[in-house]
Amino acid sequence: MSAADPRASRARGVIALLEQNCTVCMLCVRECPDWCIEIDSHTVTLPADETHRRPRTEAVLDRFAIDFGLCMYCGICVEVCPFDALHWSPVAEYAATSSAGLVHERDRLSSWEPTVPAPPALDLHAVVDDPGPRRATGRS
Amino acid sequence: MSTLASAVAAAVAGATMHEGFGPVTVDVPRERWRDGLAAAQTAGATFFDLLTAYDDAPAGLAVVVHLATPHLRDHLLVRTVVPDAIRELDTATGVYRGAAWHERETHEMFGIDFVGNARLDPLLLGADLGAAPLRKDFVLAARAARAWPGEKDPSDQGGRPRRRTVPPGVPTDWPEAGS
Amino acid sequence: MLNRPVSLPTPRVGQPPERGPIRLDLSWGGRDWTVWMVDVGLACCSVEVMAAALGSGASREAGELVHADPGAPVDVLVVSGTCTDVLAPAVRRLWKSLPAPTRVVSFGACSNTGGPYWDSYSVTKGIDQVLPVDVYVPGCPPRPQALLQALSLIDDAGAMP
Repeated sequence: MSAADPRASRARGVIALLEQNCTVCMLCVRECPDWCIEIDSHTVTLPADETHRRPRTEAVLDRFAIDFGLCMYCGICVEVCPFDALHWSPVAEYAATSSAGLVHERDRLSSWEPTVPAPPALDLHAVVDDPGPRRATGRS
Repeated sequence: MSTLASAVAAAVAGATMHEGFGPVTVDVPRERWRDGLAAAQTAGATFFDLLTAYDDAPAGLAVVVHLATPHLRDHLLVRTVVPDAIRELDTATGVYRGAAWHERETHEMFGIDFVGNARLDPLLLGADLGAAPLRKDFVLAARAARAWPGEKDPSDQGGRPRRRTVPPGVPTDWPEAGS
Repeated sequence: MLNRPVSLPTPRVGQPPERGPIRLDLSWGGRDWTVWMVDVGLACCSVEVMAAALGSGASREAGELVHADPGAPVDVLVVSGTCTDVLAPAVRRLWKSLPAPTRVVSFGACSNTGGPYWDSYSVTKGIDQVLPVDVYVPGCPPRPQALLQALSLIDDAGAMP
Protein backbone atom coordinates (compact mmCIF):
# COMPACT_ATOMS: atom_id res chain seq x y z
CA MET A 1 0.00 0.00 0.00
CA SER A 2 2.82 2.37 0.74
CA ALA A 3 6.54 2.24 1.38
CA ALA A 4 5.93 2.74 5.10
CA ASP A 5 3.25 0.05 5.19
CA PRO A 6 3.98 -2.52 2.50
CA ARG A 7 1.41 -5.24 2.02
CA ALA A 8 1.71 -8.46 0.07
CA SER A 9 0.28 -8.34 -3.42
CA ARG A 10 -2.61 -10.64 -2.55
CA ALA A 11 -3.15 -9.37 0.99
CA ARG A 12 -6.73 -10.08 2.05
CA GLY A 13 -8.15 -6.84 3.33
CA VAL A 14 -11.54 -6.46 1.73
CA ILE A 15 -13.35 -7.93 -1.28
CA ALA A 16 -14.09 -5.69 -4.26
CA LEU A 17 -16.84 -6.29 -6.81
CA LEU A 18 -16.37 -5.63 -10.51
CA GLU A 19 -20.05 -5.41 -11.28
CA GLN A 20 -19.85 -5.53 -15.06
CA ASN A 21 -18.37 -9.04 -14.84
CA CYS A 22 -21.05 -10.49 -12.60
CA THR A 23 -23.54 -12.72 -14.42
CA VAL A 24 -25.46 -13.68 -11.23
CA CYS A 25 -24.37 -17.29 -11.49
CA MET A 26 -24.73 -17.50 -7.66
CA LEU A 27 -21.62 -19.64 -7.27
CA CYS A 28 -20.02 -17.32 -4.69
CA VAL A 29 -23.23 -17.32 -2.63
CA ARG A 30 -23.49 -21.09 -2.66
CA GLU A 31 -19.84 -21.77 -1.94
CA CYS A 32 -19.38 -19.29 0.91
CA PRO A 33 -18.95 -21.44 4.05
CA ASP A 34 -20.29 -18.67 6.27
CA TRP A 35 -23.34 -17.79 4.13
CA CYS A 36 -22.21 -14.20 4.24
CA ILE A 37 -22.93 -13.23 0.61
CA GLU A 38 -26.47 -12.32 -0.36
CA ILE A 39 -27.60 -11.69 -3.90
CA ASP A 40 -31.02 -10.61 -5.11
CA SER A 41 -31.75 -10.60 -8.82
CA HIS A 42 -34.36 -10.97 -11.48
CA THR A 43 -34.38 -11.89 -15.15
CA VAL A 44 -35.34 -9.76 -18.12
CA THR A 45 -36.27 -10.99 -21.53
CA LEU A 46 -34.45 -9.27 -24.33
CA PRO A 47 -36.15 -9.34 -27.74
CA ALA A 48 -34.58 -10.73 -30.90
CA ASP A 49 -32.45 -8.24 -32.80
CA GLU A 50 -29.87 -8.09 -35.60
CA THR A 51 -27.29 -10.14 -33.69
CA HIS A 52 -29.66 -12.50 -31.85
CA ARG A 53 -32.26 -14.36 -33.85
CA ARG A 54 -34.25 -15.48 -30.77
CA PRO A 55 -35.33 -13.64 -27.64
CA ARG A 56 -33.12 -14.42 -24.67
CA THR A 57 -33.31 -13.98 -20.91
CA GLU A 58 -30.58 -12.24 -18.97
CA ALA A 59 -30.08 -12.04 -15.21
CA VAL A 60 -29.97 -8.56 -13.70
CA LEU A 61 -28.30 -7.92 -10.38
CA ASP A 62 -30.47 -6.11 -7.82
CA ARG A 63 -28.56 -6.58 -4.61
CA PHE A 64 -25.06 -7.85 -3.89
CA ALA A 65 -24.03 -7.70 -0.25
CA ILE A 66 -21.19 -9.19 1.76
CA ASP A 67 -21.39 -9.24 5.55
CA PHE A 68 -17.80 -8.64 6.65
CA GLY A 69 -18.80 -9.29 10.24
CA LEU A 70 -19.23 -12.95 9.28
CA CYS A 71 -16.60 -13.15 6.55
CA MET A 72 -13.59 -15.28 7.42
CA TYR A 73 -11.54 -14.14 4.42
CA CYS A 74 -11.10 -17.65 3.09
CA GLY A 75 -11.20 -16.42 -0.51
CA ILE A 76 -13.42 -19.20 -1.81
CA CYS A 77 -15.77 -16.67 -3.42
CA VAL A 78 -12.90 -14.91 -5.18
CA GLU A 79 -11.48 -18.20 -6.44
CA VAL A 80 -14.74 -19.76 -7.54
CA CYS A 81 -16.06 -16.82 -9.53
CA PRO A 82 -15.81 -17.95 -13.16
CA PHE A 83 -16.06 -14.39 -14.45
CA ASP A 84 -13.43 -12.75 -12.27
CA ALA A 85 -15.89 -10.35 -10.70
CA LEU A 86 -14.48 -10.50 -7.16
CA HIS A 87 -11.00 -9.32 -6.21
CA TRP A 88 -8.91 -8.97 -3.09
CA SER A 89 -7.99 -5.48 -1.96
CA PRO A 90 -5.35 -4.90 0.75
CA VAL A 91 -7.39 -2.22 2.54
CA ALA A 92 -8.04 -3.57 6.06
CA GLU A 93 -9.25 -0.46 7.89
CA TYR A 94 -13.03 -0.28 7.68
CA ALA A 95 -14.20 -0.85 11.24
CA ALA A 96 -17.76 0.30 11.98
CA THR A 97 -19.74 1.43 14.98
CA SER A 98 -22.51 -1.06 14.32
CA SER A 99 -22.87 -4.62 13.10
CA ALA A 100 -24.91 -3.38 10.15
CA GLY A 101 -22.04 -1.09 9.21
CA LEU A 102 -20.00 -4.16 8.34
CA VAL A 103 -22.44 -5.20 5.62
CA HIS A 104 -21.15 -3.75 2.38
CA GLU A 105 -23.75 -3.33 -0.34
CA ARG A 106 -23.21 -3.24 -4.06
CA ASP A 107 -22.03 0.36 -4.33
CA ARG A 108 -19.56 0.07 -1.50
CA LEU A 109 -18.19 -3.22 -2.81
CA SER A 110 -17.69 -1.60 -6.21
CA SER A 111 -15.96 1.36 -4.60
CA TRP A 112 -13.13 -0.93 -3.42
CA GLU A 113 -12.19 -1.79 -6.99
CA PRO A 114 -9.73 1.11 -7.49
CA THR A 115 -7.80 -0.16 -4.46
CA VAL A 116 -7.24 -3.59 -6.01
CA PRO A 117 -3.56 -3.78 -6.95
CA ALA A 118 -2.36 -4.94 -10.36
CA PRO A 119 -1.34 -8.59 -10.48
CA PRO A 120 2.27 -9.03 -9.38
CA ALA A 121 4.97 -9.02 -12.02
CA LEU A 122 6.27 -12.39 -13.09
CA ASP A 123 9.40 -13.66 -11.43
CA LEU A 124 12.51 -12.18 -13.06
CA HIS A 125 13.71 -15.53 -14.28
CA ALA A 126 10.37 -16.82 -15.52
CA VAL A 127 10.39 -18.09 -19.08
CA VAL A 128 7.17 -17.24 -20.82
CA ASP A 129 6.26 -18.67 -24.18
CA ASP A 130 4.28 -16.31 -26.31
CA PRO A 131 0.88 -18.05 -26.68
CA GLY A 132 0.29 -16.42 -30.05
CA PRO A 133 -2.99 -15.04 -31.40
CA ARG A 134 -6.17 -16.68 -30.13
CA ARG A 135 -7.46 -19.29 -32.54
CA ALA A 136 -11.08 -19.11 -33.61
CA THR A 137 -13.06 -22.09 -32.31
CA GLY A 138 -15.99 -21.72 -34.65
CA ARG A 139 -18.37 -20.46 -31.96
CA SER A 140 -19.42 -16.84 -31.57
CA MET B 1 3.48 -52.93 5.18
CA SER B 2 3.68 -52.16 8.88
CA THR B 3 4.82 -55.11 10.97
CA LEU B 4 3.12 -53.62 13.98
CA ALA B 5 -0.24 -53.52 12.25
CA SER B 6 0.26 -57.02 10.84
CA ALA B 7 0.99 -58.35 14.31
CA VAL B 8 -2.20 -56.81 15.69
CA ALA B 9 -4.34 -58.02 12.82
CA ALA B 10 -2.97 -61.53 13.18
CA ALA B 11 -3.62 -61.61 16.93
CA VAL B 12 -7.27 -60.61 16.82
CA ALA B 13 -9.98 -62.76 15.26
CA GLY B 14 -12.00 -60.88 12.71
CA ALA B 15 -9.53 -58.01 12.36
CA THR B 16 -8.80 -56.45 8.98
CA MET B 17 -6.04 -54.13 7.85
CA HIS B 18 -6.60 -51.06 5.78
CA GLU B 19 -3.94 -48.86 4.28
CA GLY B 20 -4.80 -45.31 3.37
CA PHE B 21 -3.22 -41.95 3.99
CA GLY B 22 -1.06 -41.91 7.09
CA PRO B 23 -0.81 -44.86 9.44
CA VAL B 24 -2.23 -48.29 8.67
CA THR B 25 -5.62 -48.88 10.24
CA VAL B 26 -6.55 -52.15 11.90
CA ASP B 27 -10.30 -52.62 12.17
CA VAL B 28 -11.37 -54.90 15.00
CA PRO B 29 -14.87 -56.10 15.91
CA ARG B 30 -16.46 -54.25 18.79
CA GLU B 31 -16.38 -57.30 21.07
CA ARG B 32 -12.60 -57.63 20.60
CA TRP B 33 -11.77 -53.96 21.26
CA ARG B 34 -9.73 -54.65 24.40
CA ASP B 35 -8.01 -57.60 22.74
CA GLY B 36 -7.00 -55.40 19.83
CA LEU B 37 -5.52 -52.72 22.08
CA ALA B 38 -3.75 -55.29 24.24
CA ALA B 39 -2.30 -56.93 21.13
CA ALA B 40 -0.99 -53.59 19.93
CA GLN B 41 0.62 -52.92 23.29
CA THR B 42 2.21 -56.37 23.35
CA ALA B 43 3.50 -55.86 19.82
CA GLY B 44 5.35 -52.77 21.02
CA ALA B 45 2.90 -49.86 20.67
CA THR B 46 3.32 -48.60 24.21
CA PHE B 47 2.72 -44.91 23.41
CA PHE B 48 -0.96 -43.95 23.52
CA ASP B 49 -1.54 -40.80 21.49
CA LEU B 50 -5.27 -40.24 21.25
CA LEU B 51 -8.73 -41.78 21.26
CA THR B 52 -11.49 -40.14 19.32
CA ALA B 53 -14.56 -40.96 17.25
CA TYR B 54 -16.39 -39.94 14.13
CA ASP B 55 -19.93 -40.48 12.98
CA ASP B 56 -19.79 -43.13 10.26
CA ALA B 57 -23.51 -43.07 9.53
CA PRO B 58 -25.33 -45.34 8.90
CA ALA B 59 -22.88 -47.96 10.23
CA GLY B 60 -22.59 -46.22 13.59
CA LEU B 61 -19.87 -44.36 15.43
CA ALA B 62 -16.29 -45.29 14.58
CA VAL B 63 -13.94 -45.10 17.58
CA VAL B 64 -10.30 -44.66 16.64
CA VAL B 65 -7.14 -44.95 18.73
CA HIS B 66 -3.72 -43.76 17.55
CA LEU B 67 -0.84 -45.75 19.02
CA ALA B 68 2.91 -45.66 18.46
CA THR B 69 6.07 -47.44 19.44
CA PRO B 70 8.70 -45.66 21.54
CA HIS B 71 10.53 -42.91 19.64
CA LEU B 72 7.64 -43.05 17.17
CA ARG B 73 9.37 -45.50 14.91
CA ASP B 74 6.09 -47.09 13.92
CA HIS B 75 2.46 -46.23 14.49
CA LEU B 76 -1.01 -47.46 13.70
CA LEU B 77 -4.68 -46.72 14.10
CA VAL B 78 -6.97 -49.24 15.77
CA ARG B 79 -10.60 -48.73 14.95
CA THR B 80 -13.93 -50.24 15.73
CA VAL B 81 -17.53 -49.35 14.93
CA VAL B 82 -20.16 -48.87 17.64
CA PRO B 83 -23.65 -49.30 16.16
CA ASP B 84 -26.20 -46.60 17.05
CA ALA B 85 -28.44 -49.13 18.77
CA ILE B 86 -25.70 -50.07 21.25
CA ARG B 87 -23.59 -46.91 21.99
CA GLU B 88 -21.34 -48.81 24.36
CA LEU B 89 -17.70 -49.81 24.20
CA ASP B 90 -15.21 -51.33 26.61
CA THR B 91 -12.92 -48.77 28.18
CA ALA B 92 -9.36 -48.59 26.90
CA THR B 93 -8.10 -47.52 30.32
CA GLY B 94 -7.44 -51.13 31.34
CA VAL B 95 -4.74 -51.22 28.67
CA TYR B 96 -3.74 -47.55 28.38
CA ARG B 97 -4.46 -45.42 31.46
CA GLY B 98 -3.98 -42.26 29.44
CA ALA B 99 -7.18 -42.98 27.54
CA ALA B 100 -9.26 -41.81 30.52
CA TRP B 101 -9.41 -38.15 29.52
CA HIS B 102 -9.95 -38.96 25.86
CA GLU B 103 -12.86 -41.24 26.67
CA ARG B 104 -14.36 -38.51 28.83
CA GLU B 105 -14.25 -36.08 25.92
CA THR B 106 -15.49 -38.63 23.37
CA HIS B 107 -18.35 -39.59 25.68
CA GLU B 108 -19.38 -35.95 25.94
CA MET B 109 -19.16 -35.23 22.23
CA PHE B 110 -20.56 -38.49 20.83
CA GLY B 111 -22.58 -40.05 23.63
CA ILE B 112 -20.66 -43.33 23.77
CA ASP B 113 -20.61 -45.05 27.15
CA PHE B 114 -17.14 -46.45 27.90
CA VAL B 115 -17.93 -49.38 30.16
CA GLY B 116 -15.45 -49.54 33.01
CA ASN B 117 -14.52 -45.85 32.99
CA ALA B 118 -16.13 -44.31 36.05
CA ARG B 119 -14.96 -40.74 35.35
CA LEU B 120 -17.12 -39.74 32.38
CA ASP B 121 -18.17 -36.40 33.93
CA PRO B 122 -18.94 -33.43 31.66
CA LEU B 123 -15.79 -31.71 30.49
CA LEU B 124 -16.36 -28.79 28.14
CA LEU B 125 -20.03 -28.33 27.40
CA GLY B 126 -22.70 -26.52 29.37
CA ALA B 127 -25.26 -28.72 31.09
CA ASP B 128 -28.15 -27.41 29.03
CA LEU B 129 -26.96 -28.67 25.65
CA GLY B 130 -28.74 -31.95 26.20
CA ALA B 131 -27.24 -33.97 23.35
CA ALA B 132 -23.97 -35.17 21.86
CA PRO B 133 -23.08 -32.38 19.44
CA LEU B 134 -20.64 -34.15 17.12
CA ARG B 135 -23.15 -36.76 15.99
CA LYS B 136 -24.47 -36.13 12.52
CA ASP B 137 -28.07 -36.12 13.73
CA PHE B 138 -27.39 -33.12 15.99
CA VAL B 139 -29.16 -30.19 14.35
CA LEU B 140 -27.16 -26.98 14.23
CA ALA B 141 -29.95 -24.62 15.18
CA ALA B 142 -28.37 -21.68 13.37
CA ARG B 143 -28.30 -23.52 10.04
CA ALA B 144 -31.84 -24.75 10.43
CA ALA B 145 -33.17 -21.33 11.43
CA ARG B 146 -31.55 -19.21 8.77
CA ALA B 147 -32.60 -19.29 5.11
CA TRP B 148 -29.65 -20.22 2.95
CA PRO B 149 -28.83 -17.32 0.58
CA GLY B 150 -27.80 -19.88 -2.05
CA GLU B 151 -31.40 -21.00 -2.40
CA LYS B 152 -32.20 -17.94 -4.49
CA ASP B 153 -31.99 -17.96 -8.24
CA PRO B 154 -32.46 -15.12 -10.76
CA SER B 155 -35.44 -16.96 -12.25
CA ASP B 156 -37.34 -16.59 -8.97
CA GLN B 157 -37.96 -12.98 -10.03
CA GLY B 158 -37.41 -11.78 -6.46
CA GLY B 159 -40.14 -13.99 -5.07
CA ARG B 160 -39.92 -17.09 -2.91
CA PRO B 161 -37.35 -19.57 -4.20
CA ARG B 162 -39.03 -22.34 -6.15
CA ARG B 163 -36.32 -24.95 -5.70
CA ARG B 164 -35.83 -26.16 -2.17
CA THR B 165 -32.07 -26.70 -2.32
CA VAL B 166 -30.17 -27.72 0.77
CA PRO B 167 -26.83 -26.09 1.55
CA PRO B 168 -23.75 -28.32 1.50
CA GLY B 169 -23.23 -30.28 4.68
CA VAL B 170 -26.86 -30.05 5.84
CA PRO B 171 -28.76 -33.36 5.96
CA THR B 172 -32.00 -33.32 3.97
CA ASP B 173 -34.23 -34.17 6.94
CA TRP B 174 -33.48 -31.04 8.96
CA PRO B 175 -36.39 -28.65 9.64
CA GLU B 176 -36.50 -25.86 7.09
CA ALA B 177 -36.24 -22.18 7.92
CA GLY B 178 -39.62 -20.75 8.75
CA SER B 179 -41.24 -24.15 9.28
CA MET C 1 10.89 -5.92 15.30
CA LEU C 2 10.77 -7.76 18.58
CA ASN C 3 13.08 -10.74 18.37
CA ARG C 4 13.31 -11.88 21.95
CA PRO C 5 10.75 -13.56 24.21
CA VAL C 6 8.35 -11.24 26.02
CA SER C 7 7.65 -12.04 29.65
CA LEU C 8 3.95 -12.44 30.35
CA PRO C 9 2.36 -13.44 33.68
CA THR C 10 0.73 -16.87 33.93
CA PRO C 11 -3.04 -16.43 33.80
CA ARG C 12 -4.87 -17.57 36.93
CA VAL C 13 -8.60 -17.83 37.51
CA GLY C 14 -10.08 -15.69 40.25
CA GLN C 15 -6.88 -13.93 41.20
CA PRO C 16 -6.58 -10.16 40.85
CA PRO C 17 -4.45 -9.23 37.84
CA GLU C 18 -0.75 -8.71 38.41
CA ARG C 19 -0.59 -6.01 35.78
CA GLY C 20 -2.98 -3.27 34.81
CA PRO C 21 -4.21 -2.10 31.43
CA ILE C 22 -1.85 -2.00 28.45
CA ARG C 23 -0.73 1.29 26.98
CA LEU C 24 -1.44 1.89 23.30
CA ASP C 25 0.09 4.97 21.70
CA LEU C 26 -1.89 5.70 18.59
CA SER C 27 -1.24 7.78 15.54
CA TRP C 28 -4.00 7.94 12.96
CA GLY C 29 -5.29 10.59 10.60
CA GLY C 30 -2.75 13.14 11.78
CA ARG C 31 -3.67 12.71 15.44
CA ASP C 32 -1.57 11.25 18.26
CA TRP C 33 -3.11 10.02 21.47
CA THR C 34 -2.81 7.32 24.15
CA VAL C 35 -5.34 4.68 25.13
CA TRP C 36 -5.22 2.26 28.07
CA MET C 37 -6.73 -1.04 27.05
CA VAL C 38 -7.54 -4.42 28.50
CA ASP C 39 -7.53 -7.21 25.94
CA VAL C 40 -9.78 -10.18 26.55
CA GLY C 41 -7.61 -12.46 24.46
CA LEU C 42 -9.76 -15.48 23.76
CA ALA C 43 -8.15 -16.87 20.59
CA CYS C 44 -5.98 -16.08 17.57
CA CYS C 45 -7.15 -12.47 17.17
CA SER C 46 -5.39 -11.56 20.40
CA VAL C 47 -2.05 -12.16 18.66
CA GLU C 48 -2.84 -9.29 16.31
CA VAL C 49 -3.91 -7.10 19.24
CA MET C 50 -0.58 -7.83 20.91
CA ALA C 51 1.21 -7.00 17.67
CA ALA C 52 -0.62 -3.68 17.59
CA ALA C 53 0.33 -3.00 21.22
CA LEU C 54 3.97 -4.05 20.84
CA GLY C 55 4.35 -2.10 17.63
CA SER C 56 3.26 1.26 18.95
CA GLY C 57 4.90 4.06 20.86
CA ALA C 58 6.15 3.43 24.40
CA SER C 59 5.83 -0.34 24.16
CA ARG C 60 7.79 -0.39 20.95
CA GLU C 61 10.58 1.68 22.49
CA ALA C 62 10.66 -0.43 25.63
CA GLY C 63 10.63 -3.66 23.63
CA GLU C 64 7.85 -4.99 25.81
CA LEU C 65 4.27 -4.14 26.74
CA VAL C 66 3.89 -1.11 28.98
CA HIS C 67 1.30 -1.74 31.70
CA ALA C 68 -0.35 0.58 34.18
CA ASP C 69 -0.78 -0.57 37.77
CA PRO C 70 -3.61 -3.00 38.49
CA GLY C 71 -6.78 -1.03 39.18
CA ALA C 72 -5.75 1.89 36.93
CA PRO C 73 -8.52 3.33 34.76
CA VAL C 74 -9.31 1.39 31.61
CA ASP C 75 -10.32 3.28 28.45
CA VAL C 76 -11.08 0.42 26.13
CA LEU C 77 -11.97 -3.24 26.55
CA VAL C 78 -10.96 -5.18 23.45
CA VAL C 79 -12.61 -8.56 22.99
CA SER C 80 -10.49 -10.57 20.59
CA GLY C 81 -11.23 -14.16 19.73
CA THR C 82 -13.99 -16.72 19.92
CA CYS C 83 -16.29 -16.50 22.92
CA THR C 84 -17.97 -19.76 23.88
CA ASP C 85 -21.31 -19.87 25.67
CA VAL C 86 -19.61 -21.36 28.71
CA LEU C 87 -17.14 -18.46 28.89
CA ALA C 88 -19.57 -15.62 28.07
CA PRO C 89 -20.64 -14.98 31.70
CA ALA C 90 -17.01 -14.49 32.71
CA VAL C 91 -16.48 -11.92 29.95
CA ARG C 92 -19.60 -10.07 31.01
CA ARG C 93 -18.45 -10.13 34.65
CA LEU C 94 -15.15 -8.60 33.59
CA TRP C 95 -16.90 -5.85 31.63
CA LYS C 96 -19.22 -5.08 34.53
CA SER C 97 -16.25 -4.77 36.88
CA LEU C 98 -14.85 -1.88 34.82
CA PRO C 99 -16.17 1.65 35.55
CA ALA C 100 -18.20 3.45 32.88
CA PRO C 101 -17.61 4.70 30.26
CA THR C 102 -15.22 1.93 29.22
CA ARG C 103 -15.62 1.53 25.49
CA VAL C 104 -15.83 -1.97 24.00
CA VAL C 105 -14.16 -2.98 20.76
CA SER C 106 -15.13 -6.28 19.17
CA PHE C 107 -12.04 -7.43 17.30
CA GLY C 108 -12.39 -10.07 14.60
CA ALA C 109 -15.15 -12.10 13.03
CA CYS C 110 -15.68 -14.44 15.98
CA SER C 111 -16.44 -11.71 18.47
CA ASN C 112 -18.41 -9.71 15.88
CA THR C 113 -20.90 -12.41 14.89
CA GLY C 114 -19.47 -15.79 15.79
CA GLY C 115 -17.58 -15.69 12.48
CA PRO C 116 -16.74 -19.12 10.99
CA TYR C 117 -18.38 -20.67 14.05
CA TRP C 118 -21.71 -18.88 13.62
CA ASP C 119 -23.47 -22.24 13.40
CA SER C 120 -21.59 -23.93 16.25
CA TYR C 121 -23.27 -25.60 19.20
CA SER C 122 -21.00 -23.87 21.68
CA VAL C 123 -20.04 -20.44 20.36
CA THR C 124 -21.65 -17.15 21.34
CA LYS C 125 -22.81 -15.55 18.10
CA GLY C 126 -20.99 -12.30 18.69
CA ILE C 127 -19.92 -10.79 22.00
CA ASP C 128 -22.66 -8.17 21.55
CA GLN C 129 -25.05 -10.86 22.72
CA VAL C 130 -23.75 -10.32 26.27
CA LEU C 131 -22.39 -6.79 26.38
CA PRO C 132 -22.73 -3.58 24.35
CA VAL C 133 -20.13 -3.07 21.64
CA ASP C 134 -19.03 0.36 20.46
CA VAL C 135 -16.81 -0.56 17.51
CA TYR C 136 -16.71 -3.69 15.37
CA VAL C 137 -13.46 -4.54 13.61
CA PRO C 138 -13.85 -6.91 10.65
CA GLY C 139 -11.16 -9.44 9.86
CA CYS C 140 -10.09 -12.99 10.45
CA PRO C 141 -7.87 -11.86 12.01
CA PRO C 142 -7.91 -8.10 11.41
CA ARG C 143 -4.56 -6.45 10.77
CA PRO C 144 -3.01 -4.59 13.73
CA GLN C 145 -3.53 -1.38 11.73
CA ALA C 146 -7.27 -2.14 11.71
CA LEU C 147 -7.29 -1.87 15.51
CA LEU C 148 -5.65 1.54 15.28
CA GLN C 149 -8.29 2.73 12.81
CA ALA C 150 -11.05 1.32 14.99
CA LEU C 151 -9.76 3.14 18.05
CA SER C 152 -9.67 6.37 16.05
CA LEU C 153 -13.47 6.11 15.98
CA ILE C 154 -13.34 6.69 19.72
CA ASP C 155 -12.02 10.13 20.50
CA ASP C 156 -9.78 11.17 23.40
CA ALA C 157 -12.62 11.89 25.79
CA GLY C 158 -14.02 8.42 25.27
CA ALA C 159 -17.18 9.72 23.63
CA MET C 160 -18.31 8.36 20.30
CA PRO C 161 -18.12 10.73 17.30
